[in-house]
Amino acid sequence: MLGRRANRHREEPAVLASRQATVAELALRALEGMPLGELRDAAATAVACELGVEQVAVLELTHDRRGLLARAGVGLPDGVLGGVLPVEGERTDPSSLQKDLGSASSCQVSIDTRGRLSGWIEAHSRAARDFTADDEAFLRAVASVLGAAAERARQDDVMSDSEARFRELADTTPALMWMTDAEGDITFVNEGWRRFTGGTSDVGVTFATSAHPDDREEALRIWEEASARREEFRCEYRLRHAGSGDYRWVLEVGVPRFAGGEFVGYVGTATDIHERRAMEEALRESEASFRDLADTAPAMMWTTDEDGLVTFVNEGWLRFTGTTLEEELGASWQLGVHPEDADATLSTWDRAREERRSWEREYRLLHHSGEYRWIVDRGVPRYEGGRYAGYVGTAIDIHERKTMEARLLEVYQREHKIAETLQRSLLPERLPQIEGVELAARYLPGARGAAIGGDWYDVLERPDGRVALVVGDVVGHGLRAAATMGQLRNAFRAYGLVESSPSEVVARINRLVMSGVEDVMATVLYLVLDRETGELSFSAAGHPPPLVLAPDGPRFLEGGRSVPIGASDPAVFREASAVLPPGSSLLLYTDGLVERRDEPLDKRLAKLASVAGGAEGDLDGLCERVIDAVLGDGDPGDDVALLAVRPLPAVADRISLTLPAEPASLASLRRRLARFLHATGASDLEQYEITLTISEAAGNAIEHAYGPGDATYDVEVAFTRGELVATVRDHGTWRERRGEHRGRGLNIIEKLMDDVRVTPGEEGTEVTMRRRLAAVEAA
Amino acid sequence: MTSPAEVAVERRGGSVVARLSGEVDMTNASYLREQLLDSMPNDALVLVIDISACRYLDSAAIEVLFDLSRRLARRRQELRLVMPPDSPLRRVIELTEVGSAAPVHDSLDSALSQ
Repeated sequence: MLGRRANRHREEPAVLASRQATVAELALRALEGMPLGELRDAAATAVACELGVEQVAVLELTHDRRGLLARAGVGLPDGVLGGVLPVEGERTDPSSLQKDLGSASSCQVSIDTRGRLSGWIEAHSRAARDFTADDEAFLRAVASVLGAAAERARQDDVMSDSEARFRELADTTPALMWMTDAEGDITFVNEGWRRFTGGTSDVGVTFATSAHPDDREEALRIWEEASARREEFRCEYRLRHAGSGDYRWVLEVGVPRFAGGEFVGYVGTATDIHERRAMEEALRESEASFRDLADTAPAMMWTTDEDGLVTFVNEGWLRFTGTTLEEELGASWQLGVHPEDADATLSTWDRAREERRSWEREYRLLHHSGEYRWIVDRGVPRYEGGRYAGYVGTAIDIHERKTMEARLLEVYQREHKIAETLQRSLLPERLPQIEGVELAARYLPGARGAAIGGDWYDVLERPDGRVALVVGDVVGHGLRAAATMGQLRNAFRAYGLVESSPSEVVARINRLVMSGVEDVMATVLYLVLDRETGELSFSAAGHPPPLVLAPDGPRFLEGGRSVPIGASDPAVFREASAVLPPGSSLLLYTDGLVERRDEPLDKRLAKLASVAGGAEGDLDGLCERVIDAVLGDGDPGDDVALLAVRPLPAVADRISLTLPAEPASLASLRRRLARFLHATGASDLEQYEITLTISEAAGNAIEHAYGPGDATYDVEVAFTRGELVATVRDHGTWRERRGEHRGRGLNIIEKLMDDVRVTPGEEGTEVTMRRRLAAVEAA
Repeated sequence: MTSPAEVAVERRGGSVVARLSGEVDMTNASYLREQLLDSMPNDALVLVIDISACRYLDSAAIEVLFDLSRRLARRRQELRLVMPPDSPLRRVIELTEVGSAAPVHDSLDSALSQ
């Protein structure tokens, strides 16, 4: 029994790690856009290899859901692959392959796409065997990657299609169009813009360099004020036309874009309104010349008398509506206006006229083609000889712009959906089971309609038995941030396995990121914990400090700070060490939890420490409590990842250690003893005295070690029926410690223990000490 | 790696108060002795070592206390210890008869008022 247990301990983590790596590898391939067919093949091969089965099948429900199409497989007989298997019994049952193949044992897991059963992945074994819960979990993980990949493949099609449609449309529209990201940098300009300006400069630069010197200041002010408030803006200014070198009047309209409530930039149009401006100027000079000019202009124009009755519309207007001048004259305001827009349009127009203010409104007007097109209509009061004489108005077709806005919104919402799916599929669905630690984690998308970010958490068991923990936050939002997160997460898994020093792991990943093409920036907290001793070291790259919840209260671990990953190369990454007191928990989090515009960071950190509270209670409860208390009182804005870990007290009734015979081992010995003694329920006094006596005996052993053969000593402590028996064995020859007071160590041992026996032998000396624990006896 | 221990030294009239925290064992005991001796100017009369915040002392640390007491006595200076009555370290301090070399006080006030 003992032998089997020992075996399991050695093998299981390696198997699990290999399977986790396999799933991560498949997810990465899916993320990088590996075609679905190849991904299915890779999945089938991986399953055969990891589960050690001869036959694997990846099956897809046919369109009518009556058959199962064998999409990929390993070891399947001829004719099965690419063929359709009938669905027997319920439509939701797995295939009948087990019967057909004559396999002794099978493990069959469903693949879900968009929350709906879409197929099966099946492992068939010729020999009878038990598929364990871990086997099934692995198969489920592979199935979820395949499901997510199928879903993504569909969405990719839709998205690239609609992106392309948008760009195509934008390029064929006569308007000048541009798009910015949240920082105001141009991400797209259409063909019209390039032709007009002869360049691709950004908005601020355009105002500063291409706008007429007299208009620059005003245009810049409007843009800056609006973009600070993320509001729609419009301004008219003269823009230099690259072809002619002349300045022409344009109307620039910028509309903020939001995806899932998150501001993602502006989309804007500039319309050439030179004719309209020329018209307005001409009007000031003479009514007659205005009419001549108006009819030759492509813009739509109109005038009214002092009662608001239409007295004139120009050729441009009639060309648009396909109506006659007679139909348009008089009280014709409602003519051709979309029924849904009519009331609001009319009431604003009436109010403006009562107050003789200028009026502007966007509404849909019936085009001669029979469709309603969006126009922006504007009227200003006109005066003849100082006397109010009515209104003069101009209208511009803005249909392309309006449609574009809606389309853009659609594109961004779709991207957001994909990002969210990706994010979910990349985070570990359940944390790995690691012996000797309790773990809990949470991921929360931003509360404002789920702003997907690049936050993640991960846990990994290192070959040296220590546990590596990571939380990180990729700068930015959306699909790219989620994809980058997936890559960084895998990089941490890889380097975390081979490198033992946290600062070195972070430095290596920084080098990897800096050598890449894309701009990637991320803050990361990477921590390695010895679950036996509580010793930990960590590196905080631009990341807030981890929180220790010790029995005597919470505190943040300071130090180990450096710049974020991707900020500079070379960069110095620091690391700091600490010891987790027995019974403590550790809380790692991303800054979405503590960063708020309206409150200083140190105040938020203090609040986190106070709500996290003591070391008691389960970690799931702790995560809930922290999220409720810290985020419950408002909108977090950013997404949040949370990871809690607690080394469990040793359940064993004995520990057995072999340590290097050097003084530095004493501190490590004390940590391990502290953990063991804490679990036995010994009092503080007993813990100190027992630790002291064992350390004194160990100190003797270290002093006796001379030759290379004496390089280690053994410590065994067993606790049975209220009595503690400790044995310290060295490989040298026993002597009394030298010097005047050297006997004090042995003196302490004898006085603090109930019984002490020193057994010198050929191969070394053994000191056995016994003591009953009063506190435990009483209990 | 040596064990983590810290000393904070403060002058109080004719006395020097050294607050010891952390863990003292054979890896850092002699370093600590040098620190404490350096912190003791010739014109001070008493060195008070407050071990209230100390989590661990081993026999090497106790040796240091005896040694310090001897060295200070040669300079006509006195060593006193402060340790709360409920300290887990108390029994070990008593068993090793540290009190014979340096009187042990329950509080800093008591150590300074004599």
